[in-house]
Amino acid sequence: MNALLAVSRLIDDITERIGRTVLWLVLVAVLISAANATVRKIFNYSSNSYLEIQWYLFSLIFLFCAGYTLKHNEHVRIDIISGHLSGRARAAIDIFGTLFFLLPMAILVMWLSWPVFIDAWDRHEVSTNAGGLIIWPARLMVPVGFFLLVVQAISELIKRIAFLKGMIPDPGERHVTKTAEEELAEEILRGRGERAIAEEIERIATGKDAQS
Amino acid sequence: MSAFLVANIAPLMFAALVIVLLIGYPVAFALGAVGIGFGILGIELGLLRPELLQALPERIFGVMANDTLLAVPFFTFMGLILERSGMAEDLLDTIGQLFGPIRGGLGYAVIFVGALLAATTGVVAASVISMGLISLPIMLRYGYDRRLASGVIAASGTLAQIIPPSLVLIIMADQLGRSVGDMYAGAFVPGFILALLYVAYVIGVSVVKPRWAPALPAEARTLREADGSSGNRSLVVLTVLAAAASVGFWKFYYNVHAPDTATDERIVICLLVAVGGAFLAAVLNKLLRLNLLSRIAERVTFVLIPPLALIFLVLGTIFLGVATPTEGGAMGATGALIMALSRRRLSFPLLKQAMNTTAKLSTFVVFILIGARVFSLTFYGVNGHVWVEHLLTSLPGGQLGFLIVVNALIFVLAFFLDFFELAFIIIPLVGPVAEKLGVDLVWFGVLLAVNMQTSFMHPPFGFALFYLRSVAPAKEFLDRVTGRRTAPVTTGQIYWGAVPFVLIQVVMVGLIIAFPDLVSGGLATREKVDIRNIRIEIPIDKGATGGGPSGSNFEQDNATKALERAMRGDTAGETSEDPDDAAKALERAIGAGKAADAPPATK
Repeated sequence: MNALLAVSRLIDDITERIGRTVLWLVLVAVLISAANATVRKIFNYSSNSYLEIQWYLFSLIFLFCAGYTLKHNEHVRIDIISGHLSGRARAAIDIFGTLFFLLPMAILVMWLSWPVFIDAWDRHEVSTNAGGLIIWPARLMVPVGFFLLVVQAISELIKRIAFLKGMIPDPGERHVTKTAEEELAEEILRGRGERAIAEEIERIATGKDAQS
Repeated sequence: MSAFLVANIAPLMFAALVIVLLIGYPVAFALGAVGIGFGILGIELGLLRPELLQALPERIFGVMANDTLLAVPFFTFMGLILERSGMAEDLLDTIGQLFGPIRGGLGYAVIFVGALLAATTGVVAASVISMGLISLPIMLRYGYDRRLASGVIAASGTLAQIIPPSLVLIIMADQLGRSVGDMYAGAFVPGFILALLYVAYVIGVSVVKPRWAPALPAEARTLREADGSSGNRSLVVLTVLAAAASVGFWKFYYNVHAPDTATDERIVICLLVAVGGAFLAAVLNKLLRLNLLSRIAERVTFVLIPPLALIFLVLGTIFLGVATPTEGGAMGATGALIMALSRRRLSFPLLKQAMNTTAKLSTFVVFILIGARVFSLTFYGVNGHVWVEHLLTSLPGGQLGFLIVVNALIFVLAFFLDFFELAFIIIPLVGPVAEKLGVDLVWFGVLLAVNMQTSFMHPPFGFALFYLRSVAPAKEFLDRVTGRRTAPVTTGQIYWGAVPFVLIQVVMVGLIIAFPDLVSGGLATREKVDIRNIRIEIPIDKGATGGGPSGSNFEQDNATKALERAMRGDTAGETSEDPDDAAKALERAIGAGKAADAPPATK
């Protein structure tokens, strides 16, 4: 089990690095899109490749961050029932869901999308839009993104099992660091010099997290 | 057993979805798993062709190459940068001072600022937190009723969901296959009326129960003239002059020089003239030390400029047809970055956090969509849409009966689900039925968006209430200014405070059904597209793609989009086809076994 936990830590580390790198593409996509719109209006020049690069970047973000989002436990759940369960019961749900929901779906998509990439590569498939980009990188993103998701899911599986065996604390607990909302609240309060209330907020907020 | 399965596979699939979602595993994967599980079951039972699952990669490519969804990260990022730029605080402080001295004034200030933030791409959580930390303590200090104060804050925060540019409308447009620009134009008037209904409620309260919404005493106002007067007269004069400039521009420029200009373009430009004029006056006054303006007039002008400039940058360019909604989002995000930089509020950790949150939000949103597309692949294959259509069209009362049932359903589901889940699971099921019943889908989308707004206010799960609870004082505290012990705001008060606003929301849904013209009434809804913006593409006859005679689906999907853009160019924005229609049609054809010669997605 300890060897497996070491594997899990390695996977988490890789996922974290990939996620933290890929998120810069948000800024890149914003700037390209804004520049494209401005240049088109002012200099009357545009190319489809600038439009296509935007969705390439967006696809990179959400496909390569799938595992990262899973690691941070931020894929949306409906927790009207599970919210009332114990940490152990939720870990059991996660093990069940990973084995029977996530992994079959992700592996199937990975499996089916690989030949599509090979086909695009062999045929040097190019976008049908004038001046469009080559398509194989977009085709490749799908199997790679889902592979990263599968790998992270395995890490999550190991952590949940280790938790049920009492070897590590609950990996399902979120908000190790502050959420964006908490930071916003703090900044407003700092601006107003109401430190006393800020501590109060933190107390309430951490109380809330312990429940959820 | 298998006969029973074959006869009832669609309802069984839906029931399985409900159970699987309730387990509490992430929605995206639960949806996808039900789709794949039933897909395999359907293939085993001979209901579906084995090639069906081959369409999976194409479904994912369809999501990737979707320009509309690209607006989601852009607007999210813009909102996250903006919420930390200090703009909301400035607005709340100044507008609070302006309206404070009248009865119920802080309520109006909160609604006004809520609507203004919503129009710059508000984030519900951020609006509620800012108001809860800045306006709520003042309201409590001067004795506002706690239910009224918390209700008006939570409700004004949720205006971000209906007033464009909002994520709800983008996703609604995507799911219903309508343009985001039309959806924005359609939602403007209802969003505005909704804010007015909130104002009407505060007026009602201040008349019936004056003690619940007292006027602030004179000493609460710090922005006043040296001689102690309020300086409001100067603000009124400035407003009248700005309005006169705007009307004058309309009358003497447009009516004389450019009478053909569309109404929405006129409105945007004339508003720009008014705001620009006021700003110029304030700047000149300050630079030349004319002392013609009172402090409050100057302050109000300066705090209103950043949000109004951003609104112009985003909504103005979209309505003028200069930018697509996606580009509008990117321009707004860039504008927000520049504003935060110039106010020295943009730090490196903040930038990273905003990108981090944006990336994760986009990922989970898109993955719910991917899961929903995998689900619908099988669900359409087993004719689940026919089952849903049959259920909904057999309702008594035709169109009206359908609208009432769908709205009641969404209202109830909104207690448990948030809008992403509602939009991706429910809308694809009811949208085609609405179209078949002759309901305009832009109107339908706006109607449901108003309805879904309640999901943020429903006790006890509503997000707005949750965030308000996290910043409202939960224990007795000493007021900093008056030094009095002040009672806390209880959770019950927050819940009860939201109830009247949930009812207002229901009234608004009723109003839109009763007066359909409220949606996009008055404004010209046509999206103007500059001919130079149209991408040069190869239009392929759309009808041919259904049978799938040639090429990969990916190209067909692009071809459909190309055709769509070309159509948009020809008919100035009157597109009516879902970009993924061809892909869907192909999948349906494969599923029903009608096109035995349709090529599988992969070679």
